[in-house]
Amino acid sequence: MNAAALYFVNGMESETSAIARGLRRRDPDLLDRLIEQYQHRLLRYLTYLTGHRELAEDLFQETWIRVLERGHQYDGKHEFGTWLFSVARHLCIDSMRKKNPVSLDGLLDDTNDARAPLDPVDIRPSALEIIAQHEHAERINAALTGIAAEYREAVVLRFQEGLTLDEIAAVTGAPLGTIKSRLYRGLNLLMPLLKGAQA
Amino acid sequence: MTRDVHQQVREWIALTGAALTGKDGPSEAQQLQLQAHLRECDLCREYAETTSQVIRSLRSVPMAATPALVRRTQVRVRQHAQLLRQHKERLWMVGVACAGIGFSAAVTIPIMWRIFSWMGSWAGVSSPVWETGFGVFVIAPALLVSALLLARGTHLTDDAGRWRH
Repeated sequence: MNAAALYFVNGMESETSAIARGLRRRDPDLLDRLIEQYQHRLLRYLTYLTGHRELAEDLFQETWIRVLERGHQYDGKHEFGTWLFSVARHLCIDSMRKKNPVSLDGLLDDTNDARAPLDPVDIRPSALEIIAQHEHAERINAALTGIAAEYREAVVLRFQEGLTLDEIAAVTGAPLGTIKSRLYRGLNLLMPLLKGAQA
Repeated sequence: MTRDVHQQVREWIALTGAALTGKDGPSEAQQLQLQAHLRECDLCREYAETTSQVIRSLRSVPMAATPALVRRTQVRVRQHAQLLRQHKERLWMVGVACAGIGFSAAVTIPIMWRIFSWMGSWAGVSSPVWETGFGVFVIAPALLVSALLLARGTHLTDDAGRWRH
């Protein structure tokens, strides 16, 4: 390992250790900072995982309450984001089991359930562009919710959140080979749905 | 090229998001082979382009948490942290009280036993009678404290519910 990489790794370790120490103390300022830092990534992950913006917002709050309560379990050896996604994922599964005890997919595949469209950031350049943007977002949403939850999760974590394969395996608790397979299949399922769907 | 090679190339494309590089990507030697394959194979090249397009589409939907949600979450987390702190302080106080009571009981019970024994013989009652009296005397405060703590516990639950809402 060269000096720059070593410096980077040490810097990351000291940052994660500081987070772990702060979480053990239940430091409210640290939690405020983490909430701001991970707000978009966490909400995006939860929204794509659940397919419901409102449910995702509820789970977003519950996730941070859980982080406060179980912060002592974070060891500071891995990236905080990976642990955070893992906490959010467990809450999401618990929430969906309460609503539908059969399976995670059972709820997500329910066609009778009118889903709120994913809410993109509204920059309001023009009315036509807003409509186009919403249509585009709805198309992506429809494509993502059209594939199985485990494939969707792998694709979102990999290509939207930029997690490594090892980190995805840590978040989901699935073996590396399974993650690779989910990514490959997930992308293949998305291809016919999203071909030519560029904004 | 066999079908397995195409399959392998496509798996690498999918895993790396068509970049074929990065921590999870193939080695440099494999990258060169893959690039050579992509130059020759139209189908795999098209697969790589489609993969890039799908990933660009996924990344093109901006999704942000609203400031209101962030603020609401921060306030809720702070309130919950305060509640947890109060619970911890109360638990600590109960622990200290229990330790004090235990210590006090260890010191006073032998003395009280002798006093009850002396009072029993002075009053001329049988041993089971004064021993029962001693038992009631020892247990009564504990029962009273337990009842108070249970009542207090009910209030704590109400507090927790109020914080949550």
